[in-house]
Amino acid sequence: MRNLRYLLYIAILIVLITLPLYTGVYLLNVTDIILIYLALALSWDILLRSGQISFGMAGLFGVGGYAAGLIHLNAGVNPLISIVMGGLAAGLLAWLIGMAVLQLRGMYFAIVTLALAEIFRVIVRNLPDLTGGPEGTVLPSAIFAGNSTKTYWLVLVVALVSVIASEIFRRTRIHFALTSIRNDEVVAKSSGIDVFKYLVFIFVVTSAIQGLTGGAYAHIYGFVSPEGSFSIDFTLLPIAMALLGGMHSTWGPVVGAVVLGVISEFLKLKIPYGHLLVYGLIIVIAILFFPQGIVGTIGQKLKKAHRA
Amino acid sequence: MNPFSKLKQSNYQIVIISLVLAIILALWKPHVLVEGLQRACLYAVIALPMALILGIVGIINLAHGDFMMLGAYFAYFLNVYTGIDPLVAIFPALAAFFLIGMVSYRAIIKYVLGAPELNQLLLTFGLAMVMEQLANLIWTSRPIKLPLPYVSASATIGSFTFGTFEFVYVGAVIIVLSGLLLFLKRTGTGQAALAVGQNPRGAKLVGIHVDRTYLFIFSLSIALVGAIGAIFMTRHSIFPLVGAPFTMKSFCLIAMAGIGNLMGILWCSLILGLAENFVLSFRGYAGWADILFFALIVLVIMVRSHQRQVK
Repeated sequence: MRNLRYLLYIAILIVLITLPLYTGVYLLNVTDIILIYLALALSWDILLRSGQISFGMAGLFGVGGYAAGLIHLNAGVNPLISIVMGGLAAGLLAWLIGMAVLQLRGMYFAIVTLALAEIFRVIVRNLPDLTGGPEGTVLPSAIFAGNSTKTYWLVLVVALVSVIASEIFRRTRIHFALTSIRNDEVVAKSSGIDVFKYLVFIFVVTSAIQGLTGGAYAHIYGFVSPEGSFSIDFTLLPIAMALLGGMHSTWGPVVGAVVLGVISEFLKLKIPYGHLLVYGLIIVIAILFFPQGIVGTIGQKLKKAHRA
Repeated sequence: MNPFSKLKQSNYQIVIISLVLAIILALWKPHVLVEGLQRACLYAVIALPMALILGIVGIINLAHGDFMMLGAYFAYFLNVYTGIDPLVAIFPALAAFFLIGMVSYRAIIKYVLGAPELNQLLLTFGLAMVMEQLANLIWTSRPIKLPLPYVSASATIGSFTFGTFEFVYVGAVIIVLSGLLLFLKRTGTGQAALAVGQNPRGAKLVGIHVDRTYLFIFSLSIALVGAIGAIFMTRHSIFPLVGAPFTMKSFCLIAMAGIGNLMGILWCSLILGLAENFVLSFRGYAGWADILFFALIVLVIMVRSHQRQVK
C-alpha cells in the first residue's frame, strides 16, 4: 500500500515534469498561474497550522518580487539566483518583523500583517529612485526570454519546494509543536515547547516561500509595480483556495488551488467581467456547506464508509 | 461600559493638550483642521455600524464598505428614476437596507455564528466579492456622480475658503453616535443587546432572545451604513470598488479604539483624519499619507500588547 502511494507520487511527478510535451503554450501559462497560487496557498496554510492567520502574503510576495527584480537589474545577478535572493530577502524581513509581531495573536496578528503589507506597498510606491515609483520597473527581459517550457519548470520547482516544505513540517516534530500551539498555547508552553521560537521559524520559512514565489512571478512577467506585485489578490485568492481545498493539510490547498484555478480560468473565458463573482459565490457556498473543504469532506466520507 | 466614566482626571490633560494642538493647527494650516475634521467624521460614521456588529454579533463584516456602495447606488438610481434628492433618500435607504440586512443575516450570517473566526472572515470576504462583482457586472466600473449644485457650497473666513457641505458628515456622526449610545443605554432592547454582546449564554439564561437581538443589530447596522452610502454619494463619485477601502479603515479604527468602545472610534478617527490631511497638505509627500493609517494601527496594537504583557 505504501509502495503504491510512492509510485503514484512518482507518476504524478513525471506527468508534471513532462507536461510541456503534451500541452500548448496557453495551457502552460494557465498552469504557471495555478502553481504560483498553489505555493502561496500552501505557505499560508503552513503558518495557519500554528493558529496564526496571516493577511500579509501579498506584502512578502511583493517584497520578494521587488528584491529579485532590483537585484537582477542593479547588480546584474543571474535571474535564477536573484529569485532565491528575493526569497531570502523576504525571509530576512519576516524575521525582523516577526520578532515584534509574533507577540500578537488572532485577529490582531491578522490586522497587523495586513497593515504591514500595505505599508510595504506605500513605501515601494514612494521611493521612485529605487523602485520606479507608482509606474513600477520593467526588467530588461522576461526570464529565459519568455520560453514557456523553462518558465513552467521554474514555477514547478517553486511549487514543489512549498509542497516538500509542507510535507516536512507535517512529518517531523515541528508538526506536533505547531499543532499543540494551535490547540492550547499554555499547554504547549508547559510541555517545554519554545512557542515564540517555533512561530518565528515557521513565519520566516513561509515568508521566504512567498518571497521566492514573488521573485519567480516578477521574472516571468519581467515587470514589478506597486499595484501589481502587492495586489490584494495574492492574499485573498490563496486563502480562498486553501479554504476550499481544506485547511491544515498539504493536499487541501493543492486541490483547492487546482480546482479554483481551473474554474476561474474557464470562467474568465465565459464571462470576462464577472469571473470573480463566481469566485466569491464559491467561497460563500464552501464556507456554508463544506467548512472542512473538499479534501476534509471526502476524508470524512471515506472514514465513515470505512467504519460502516 | 459607560464611555464617559472613562474620561478620568488624567484624561483631561489629554483633552487640553489636543485642544492646544488644534488651535495651533487652526492658525497654521486651517485647511487641515477643517478638511481633516470632515474626513474623520466620514471615517467614524462608517466605522460605527461595523463596530456595532463586531461588538454585539461578534462578526467582522468584511462586506461592510460594500453595503455602503450599494446604498450609494440605491440613492443614485432613486434620484435618476424618481428625482428624490439623495439626502431625502436616506429614509428609504434605511428601510431598504434594514430589509437587506435581515435577509443577509437570515440567509448567510446566521450559519457561521458558531464557526471559527477565520470562516467568518472568509465568508464576509466572499460576500464582499460577490457584491462588488455583481455591481461591476450590472453597473460597470464607470464612476458615476450626480450633479448636485448644493454640494459645492463654501464659506470664507478672512482669506480662508472651505467647503461647508462636508459638515454633513459631522452632523451624521453626531446623530448616529448619540443615537446609538442612547439606544444602548436607555432602551430595553439596547440594554439587552449590550448584554448579548457581553455574554450570549448569560443573556439567554435571563430570557433575552439572542437570535432576534443579533438579527435586529445586524439589520440596524446595515441600514445605517446603507443610509450613509446615500450621504456619501452626494459628494463623491461612486463605482463598484468605492466601499472596499472603507472596510479596511473601519476595521483599523475599531481595532485601535478597542472592541465595544464607540466613543473611542470618534477620537481615533479624529486623530487619523487630521494626521492624514496634515501629511496630504505637504507638496511632494502626499503619497505617504496612506501609510499613516497602517503605521498607526501597527503602533497602537504593538503598544497595547506590550502594555498587557508588562501588566
